[in-house]
Amino acid sequence: MSNLAAFIRKEVTEHIRSGKITILVVIFIILGIMNPAIAKLTPWLLETMADTLAESGMTVTEVTVSALDSWVQFFKNLPMGLIAFILFESNSFSKEYQSGTLVLSLTKGLKRHTVVTAKAIVISTLWSALYWLSFGITYAYNAYFWDNGIAQSLLFSVVCGWLIGVFAVALAVFFSTVAKSNTGVLMGIGTIFVLSYILSVIPKLNEYLPTRLLDGNSLIYGKSSPKDYAAALILTLAVIVVSFIASIPIFNKKQL
Amino acid sequence: MDMLKITGLYKHFGDKEVLKGLDLTVPEGSIFGFIGKNGAGKTTTMKTVLGLLKADSGEIEVAGERVVYGQTATNRYIGYLPDVPEFYSFMNASEYLAFCGEITGMDRAEIAARSSELLELVGLQNEKHRIRGFSRGMKQRLGIAQALLNRPRLLICDEPTSALDPVGRKEILDILLAVRKQTTVLFSTHILSDVERICTDVALLGEGNISIEGKLSDIKTGYRRDEYTILTESRSDSEILCDTFSGITCDDQGILHFSESSHAHVEILRFICDRNISILKIERTEPTLESLFMEVIDK
Ligand SMILES: Nc1ncnc2c1ncn2[C@@H]1O[C@H](COP(=O)(O)OP(=O)(O)OP(=O)(O)O)[C@@H](O)[C@H]1O
Ligand SMILES: [Mg+2]
Repeated sequence: MSNLAAFIRKEVTEHIRSGKITILVVIFIILGIMNPAIAKLTPWLLETMADTLAESGMTVTEVTVSALDSWVQFFKNLPMGLIAFILFESNSFSKEYQSGTLVLSLTKGLKRHTVVTAKAIVISTLWSALYWLSFGITYAYNAYFWDNGIAQSLLFSVVCGWLIGVFAVALAVFFSTVAKSNTGVLMGIGTIFVLSYILSVIPKLNEYLPTRLLDGNSLIYGKSSPKDYAAALILTLAVIVVSFIASIPIFNKKQL
Repeated sequence: MDMLKITGLYKHFGDKEVLKGLDLTVPEGSIFGFIGKNGAGKTTTMKTVLGLLKADSGEIEVAGERVVYGQTATNRYIGYLPDVPEFYSFMNASEYLAFCGEITGMDRAEIAARSSELLELVGLQNEKHRIRGFSRGMKQRLGIAQALLNRPRLLICDEPTSALDPVGRKEILDILLAVRKQTTVLFSTHILSDVERICTDVALLGEGNISIEGKLSDIKTGYRRDEYTILTESRSDSEILCDTFSGITCDDQGILHFSESSHAHVEILRFICDRNISILKIERTEPTLESLFMEVIDK
């Protein structure tokens, strides 16, 4: 247990001293502020453009924005935050493979599964903290300007968004134990997401695919209900668990 | 007791056979020099001992326990210094040692005591900078400190002196000599003078297996071929000697060489007396490790 704590402490120190944490926090704060800001600015933007639009034959009627518009932005920006996060975190293992720093720890008797567990814990905790930070900021602004109450199943929809991040983290850990380089890891994650997007064209399948969880809009507008997401939720959870568990025996046999 | 015992170790990379049935035994308490030229397979052998590489076949035992690839339990007996040690460069030396101590499950007080003792030993006690800025020599010393941290029974160093200047080399060798009382040392090198300086035992890795192995002193006496050199006053006398004894060779400087195995030296001395040949020098030469190994490699 103490070696797990030691390795986690090392990971955290590394994040702090390399400045990674600072950059990620800034990015997620900006994302959190951007959602309500864009919603708030929409009427003003349309107004300034009203003349130009009128010339081309469009009339701008009074636009009213609500918390819903801000939440729409939240789900639209979610992939961006996730991609930034994965780009920052996906080299967690490969960096150590390349420099050979793990060799010394492992030949000291550190258990290999401790390395996987520690990294998985740190990366998913970091994702959670950043995600809920961003959510909290958006939520607070929305509450101040409008009323969050009109968004249906809000909690469920943001939990889905959080889970898709954990899913990406699990894939990152899994592919890190399979591949040697950061490129390999990113390609692995990319392939799974692209595949999920492509398959979602088939309506029958869409219901089961993890990328379904990114569609928070239908939930908050009440077009679909949480139970429509149950299948995707279960499948995603299953993949997360299997990825984490499978990465341990693979890493045990990995040549460093 | 044997600290390390390797029997019939085979390892290939692609179509290249690197180790072909290597046998090696490192007795407890020795400073064992593992010699081989570049690409001979020294690093490969060591990594296999540490369970970092999977052997094709063969058995390895550390302190009587079998080594398995991957999750290698025998590593708890071993301190390892790789050929190019890489540390977490965002830490400083004592933070790194503390991290190493924590992952091996040492308690806090023990870590503090052992760290300062080791940093003192390797001369890094006043170094407060992050490892990022360390020179190769400093990294090598920190490498030895981390390897010794949890009092390993076997210290494995992969070419600890190769990248260092003569002063740095001497310091590292002195450290290895100093830890001899605490642990068995196995180190690889291609610098024979390092071996002659500190080793008690040596093994030479030739074409994928060990060509000579044993106590350094035994090897030196065992392989002593009783070489002699003679320098005569006049060139014509040396020609006479060369012509008379087929086993004598003459080099460019007119120095004659022969070994006891081709002619008994008393026979030649008798000839010299009979002919009244005046000589400047006659000498029995000690074999150097180098000449010895060159001979073995040439065979
Ligand atoms: N991962 C690898 N893949 C392919 N070939 C390898 C690998 N590791 C080592 N080799 C080959 O195995 C041979 C032995 O390499 P090794 O590193 O063990 O030699 P060495 O005795 O340590 O040499 P040096 O003195 O240069 O450190 C070399 O010819 C090398 O090309
Ligand atoms: Mg080597």
